[in-house]
Amino acid sequence: MSRNTSSSGGSGALSHAYIHYPPLRCKNNGSTGLFYDDGNKLLISPTSNQVVSWKTSPYTPQVASTTDTISEGPVLSIRYSLDLKLIAVQRSNNEVQFWVKETGETFSQKSKSESDTILGFFWTDCAVCDIVFVKTSGLDLYSYVPELKSLELVDSKKVNVSWYIYTHESRLVLLASGMQCKSFMGYQLSSAGIIRLPRFEMAMAKSDVNSKPVLSAEDVHIVTVYGRIYCLQVDRVAMLLHSYRFYRDAVIQQGSLPVYSTKIAVSVVDNVLLIHQVDAKVIILYDIFADSRTPVSAPLPLLIRGLPRGSNISSSQSANDTSANLYSDDWNFLVPDLVCDVSTGFLWKIHLDLEAISASSSEVPLVLEFLQRRKLEAKKAKDLCLELLRSIMIERRPLPVIFRAVNVLVTSFAYSLKTGSYSKSTPVNSSSGVPENNSGNKPGDTSGGGFSTSDSEDNINLKKENGENLMVSEDQQESQSQLVTSATIPPDELYTFVFASVEEEMIAFADASYLFSILLEFIRSANLEKIKVHPNIYVLAVRLLGRNERYAELGQFVLNKIIEPSKEVALELLEGVGSRNIQTRKLGVDMLRQLSLHHDYVVLLVQDGCYLEALRYARKHKVSTVRPSLFLEAAYASNEPQHLAAVLRFFGEFIPGFGTTSEHTTYIRALADMPSSITV
Amino acid sequence: MGLSSAAITTPSEALKFCIFDLRRGQHEGEELEKILFFFPADLPFPTQLSVIGLSEGLITFTRIFSPEAACEVIEAELHSHVFFEAEPDIWMVMVVAKNKETEAIWRIEALRSVLKEIHSLFIMFHGSIRVLLDKEPGGGLTRSHLFTFIMDYLNDFLMGNKFVLPNFRDSLKQRGTVQMLTVGREAAIEVQSLVGALDSCMGNTSGYSVILFQDLLVSTTLTPDDTTNLFSYATSRLTPRVLSSGRSSTWSYLRKGNAELASRSASIGSGLDGFRIVRPLQHGKWSKGKDGFLVTDIWGVEVGNLVPTTPTLWLQQTEHKMYLCAYQHKSLTIILLIPVTSMLNGEEGISMLKQQLLENASAKIVKVEEKLAKGWGGENAYHVKGYRYLLVDGDRNISRASPPGKVTTLTKESLLAINKVREDVDLEKSRGNGNNDDKDLEICIRAKNNAWVIARSTRGKELYIVLEKANETLLYASEAIEKFSDRYCNGAFSLD
Repeated sequence: MSRNTSSSGGSGALSHAYIHYPPLRCKNNGSTGLFYDDGNKLLISPTSNQVVSWKTSPYTPQVASTTDTISEGPVLSIRYSLDLKLIAVQRSNNEVQFWVKETGETFSQKSKSESDTILGFFWTDCAVCDIVFVKTSGLDLYSYVPELKSLELVDSKKVNVSWYIYTHESRLVLLASGMQCKSFMGYQLSSAGIIRLPRFEMAMAKSDVNSKPVLSAEDVHIVTVYGRIYCLQVDRVAMLLHSYRFYRDAVIQQGSLPVYSTKIAVSVVDNVLLIHQVDAKVIILYDIFADSRTPVSAPLPLLIRGLPRGSNISSSQSANDTSANLYSDDWNFLVPDLVCDVSTGFLWKIHLDLEAISASSSEVPLVLEFLQRRKLEAKKAKDLCLELLRSIMIERRPLPVIFRAVNVLVTSFAYSLKTGSYSKSTPVNSSSGVPENNSGNKPGDTSGGGFSTSDSEDNINLKKENGENLMVSEDQQESQSQLVTSATIPPDELYTFVFASVEEEMIAFADASYLFSILLEFIRSANLEKIKVHPNIYVLAVRLLGRNERYAELGQFVLNKIIEPSKEVALELLEGVGSRNIQTRKLGVDMLRQLSLHHDYVVLLVQDGCYLEALRYARKHKVSTVRPSLFLEAAYASNEPQHLAAVLRFFGEFIPGFGTTSEHTTYIRALADMPSSITV
Repeated sequence: MGLSSAAITTPSEALKFCIFDLRRGQHEGEELEKILFFFPADLPFPTQLSVIGLSEGLITFTRIFSPEAACEVIEAELHSHVFFEAEPDIWMVMVVAKNKETEAIWRIEALRSVLKEIHSLFIMFHGSIRVLLDKEPGGGLTRSHLFTFIMDYLNDFLMGNKFVLPNFRDSLKQRGTVQMLTVGREAAIEVQSLVGALDSCMGNTSGYSVILFQDLLVSTTLTPDDTTNLFSYATSRLTPRVLSSGRSSTWSYLRKGNAELASRSASIGSGLDGFRIVRPLQHGKWSKGKDGFLVTDIWGVEVGNLVPTTPTLWLQQTEHKMYLCAYQHKSLTIILLIPVTSMLNGEEGISMLKQQLLENASAKIVKVEEKLAKGWGGENAYHVKGYRYLLVDGDRNISRASPPGKVTTLTKESLLAINKVREDVDLEKSRGNGNNDDKDLEICIRAKNNAWVIARSTRGKELYIVLEKANETLLYASEAIEKFSDRYCNGAFSLD
C-alpha cells in the first residue's frame, strides 16, 4: 500500500492509524439524519418516506445503497431486524412502528402509559426474544409472531433506567440509574441465554465535596477485544479512563488509563483499542491482551491516506474539507471501527498502520507479540515479523533480545496450532506435525462475546465471529493475502525468510556462533512447545558449527540428538562438514545406518572401500538396489583376487541369473587375468 | 585408580620412574645433568644413572631400526621398562617389578597411559618441559616443578605406604578418556542453552566452558585433548565427590605425604628460594566458597587482601594461557576458561565475570542441575545386567564401562583373560598404526573359568565384554554382543 502523504493529512506523516480516502458517501437528499444499525452493520439514512441504507461490512466506498419505503413520520431511531425482513422505526417516546418488507404491512407497539418512555430498542438473536425495548421502567422483551403480525411480550425486567448503551457485538445492554447515573445493571442477551450481571457502581471523582457530576451515556463505551468484554468509562474530573471487565459472575475494575481530552472516543481495530483524544486530535493505542496498560505507542494524529493531489480543484477542495473536519463535532464513532461525519455523510473506516507501529518501538520482542496478535492484516503482520527478526539479527542485537523475539514467534505459532487457527488457513504437510483443525465452533462461542468466568480469565478465545467477518473484507481487498489469516510463522518459513537469508549476509567467524546460538534457542523453544523443526534448520546448524571447526561440539549435538537425525543432516555431515573432518563424516555414516537408509549406507560403504562390509550389510537388510558393478569395480580396484572372487560369488547367489550377465563374464575374465588368480 | 588392588612390594623395589633429557649431559662427568626427575629420589646417583643409562642405551639401539618411534617397552626377566617420549628427546621411563605371586600383572599400555597423563597434565599447568629448560638452562626450577608435580600425582596411587599402579583389575577402564553423562534431548538442549549463557557471560573473550555432573562430563566447548586433561583434573580435584572426601578419610595420610614431599622438594629446590612452586595437584586445597565458586590458594594469595589468585593453565593446541574459574551447584561443576590476554584488568575482571555468572546464568544452572539430577540413575546407572564391559570411542576420546563395583564381582581368571585380550588388541592396533586404523577386529575367547571374553574394534571404536554366566555356545556369545551393540552402541558393532 503506497503511502500518499499529502500535506493536508495532519501534522507530518507520522501516525499509527489512518482512514483511507475516498470515504463511503452516505449523503441522501432530504435526509432526516443518519442512523447506524450495528446489528446488521448498516448505515441508514431515512427521508420523509424512504429508508436508504448502505452496507458497511464488508466496507467498500463504492457500495450501492438500497432503498425501502415507509410511511411518513418522525424517525427517532431505526433498525432492521436481524433477518432484514422487518424495519422498526421509533416514532415517538412511546411508539415503535414496524414494516414487513415483503408485504408492506405495518403494525405498531406502544408503551402502556404516557410516562413510560421508550429510550430505544434493539433486535437480538437471543433464544427467547427477537426485540428488546429499553424503557425508563426497564426492559421489555418481545418475540415477533409473523402470523399475527404483532409482538408478544415474553418477559420484562423492572428497573429504573436513566439511559442505556448497547452494542450488538457484545450483546450487552448496560442500564444506568441513580442520581449520578453511575449505578449500573447489565444483561447479556446472547443465543446462549440471558445473563444478568451483578449491579455495580462506576467510580466518579468529585471536584469538590458538594458537586455531584452526572455520568452521561457518551462517556461510557462497551468494547470487545479478544472476545472479552470491557466497559470504558471517562471520569472527566479525574481525567481518567476507568476500565471494567465483565465476567459471567462478576464485574471487575481493571485499572485506569490517563486521558488528555475531555471528549474521548473509542474504536477497536483488530482487537487494538484506539482511544481518540478528541480535543487533542490524537490517538493512543492500547493492546490489552495481557492486561497491560502501557500504550503500544506514543499519541499520534489520525492520517488521511489516498487524498487526491491538487490538480483537480473540486476534489482537492473536498479533501481540504475532510481534513479540516478531522474530529469535528459532527464525527460520530461507530462500533467498532467506523467514523461517520454526519454533516457530510462521509463514513470512514479506521485502519492501523502496522508498519508505523512496528517502526516506532525499539522493543522488538514486544512489537512481535503485538504483530502476532493481529488478524486483520495477517499477511502484512507476518511479513513485518519476519523482517523485524531478520533486521535485528543483521544488526547483531544482543542475544537475549533475539532469544525473546524467537520465543515470541515460536510460542505464538504453537498457540495457533493448539487452537487450530493455523491449519485453517494454510495447507500444512503432515510432517510438520500440525494437528487437524477440529475446534470449529465451541459452545458459547457463537454468542460473539460470551463471558468467561472470572476463574478462567486466561482462557481467552481468540476466535471471534466478528473478527472473521472483518477478515473476509480484508482478504477481498488484498487478494494475495487470501491464504494468510494468521500472522504466525511456521518453522520452515522462519528458516527460509530469516535464518537462511541471514546466513548469506553473516559470513564472519563470530557471526557463525552468533547465528548458531540463535538457532539453538530456536530449537530449544520449539522443543518446549513440541513443534517439529524443519531438517533444513539442523543442516544449517551443522554447517555453522563446521564453519567454526567446532567438530567436537558438533559430535555432542548429533549424539545427544539435539540435531535430530534426518537424511538431509546425514548428507551435510557426510559431504559438507565431513569432507573436512573425518569424525564428522563418521557421524554421517552412522546416522544413515540409524535411519535405515540402507541403499545410501551401502553405496557409502562401497565408496569408502569397505565393499565387503557393504555386502554383508546388503545381505542382512536385503538391499538389492545397489548395482553389482559398484562392488565389482571396488573389489577389482583393490587388486585382491580373493575379494573379487568373493564378490562375484556373492552376487551369483544373491541375484538370480547373475551368472549369465555380461558383468559376470567381464569380471570372471578380469579375475583370471589377475596375478595368482583362483577360480570361483 | 587401582584402589581396589592389593599391596605390592615396597615402593623402592616395585617402582622406579625417571625423566631424562637426551640433549643434556652428553659429556663425561656431566651425566647428572640429564636427570630431570627420579623416583625414588633417595636412590644413590650411581643407581639412578645406571637405570637411565640402560634406558638410553635401549633407545639409541632401537632407533637404529625405527628412527621415528623407538622402543615402547622392554620386558626383562624381573622388570618391565615402559618408555614414553613425552617431548622430542625427553623420555619418561617407568620400571616396574614383575611378581606373579602378587597382583603385579600389568598391561603396558595402561602404564604408558599413566605416563601420558602425567605429561599432559604437567603441560597443562606448567607448559612444556623443553620450554622450561630453554628458559632456565640450569634445570633446577624444571626439576622442582617436575618433582612436586609428579609426587603430588603419584599420591593418588599411594595406598598406605605402597604405590598401586593400574593392573589387570583395571582392564575395564581406560585412562585418558572422558566419561560422559547420557542425557535426553530436552536436557541436552537445556544444557546447551546454559552453555550459551555462559558464553555470553564471558563476553567477547572467546573463552571455553566445561560442564560436569558428578564425575561425568555433560558438555564441553574445548578441543577433545584439552577436555580430556581438564576432565581428569576436575574429576580428581574439583568435583563434589572429591571435595567432600578431601575433608575426611584421605586427609590424614595426604598431609603426611605432603610434609614428606615438602622436605624433599626443599632439598632439591635449594638455591631457588625466590621461586614459588605452584602445586596444582596438591590434595585438599580446593574448597567451595560461599558464593558457589571453588577457591584454592595453590596459585598464591594476593598480597594484602588475602584473595586467592585465580588459577591459570595452558591450552594444549593453541598454547593460550587461560584463567580457570570453577563454579559448583550441588552435583553440577562448571569450569570456565578465559584467555589471560583478554582480561586486561586481571583479577578484577574475573570477579566481574563471576558476578555476571551469578546474575545471568544461575537460574539456568539451577534448572539444568535439577533436570540432570532427575534423570540421573545413580552410580550404577550404566550397569548392564549380565555384562561387564568397556566401550571406547577413540575418535572422541570417550569411554564408558561397567561401574567399578560391578567389575569387582568378576573372578581373577576373567580379569586376567580380558587383560590379555586387551594387550593383544593393543599390539594389533600399534602394528596397524597409521596405515589402516579403521581395520575391523574381533576376538572371542573362552577363558579357563568358562567365561566369554570378547573384544571388537571397528571404525575407531572398541568394545570389550566379559560374560561370566553365559551359555557355552559361541553363537550365544555373539548374539549377546549383537544385542548389546544394538541396544547401547547404536549398532556400531553389529558387523553384519
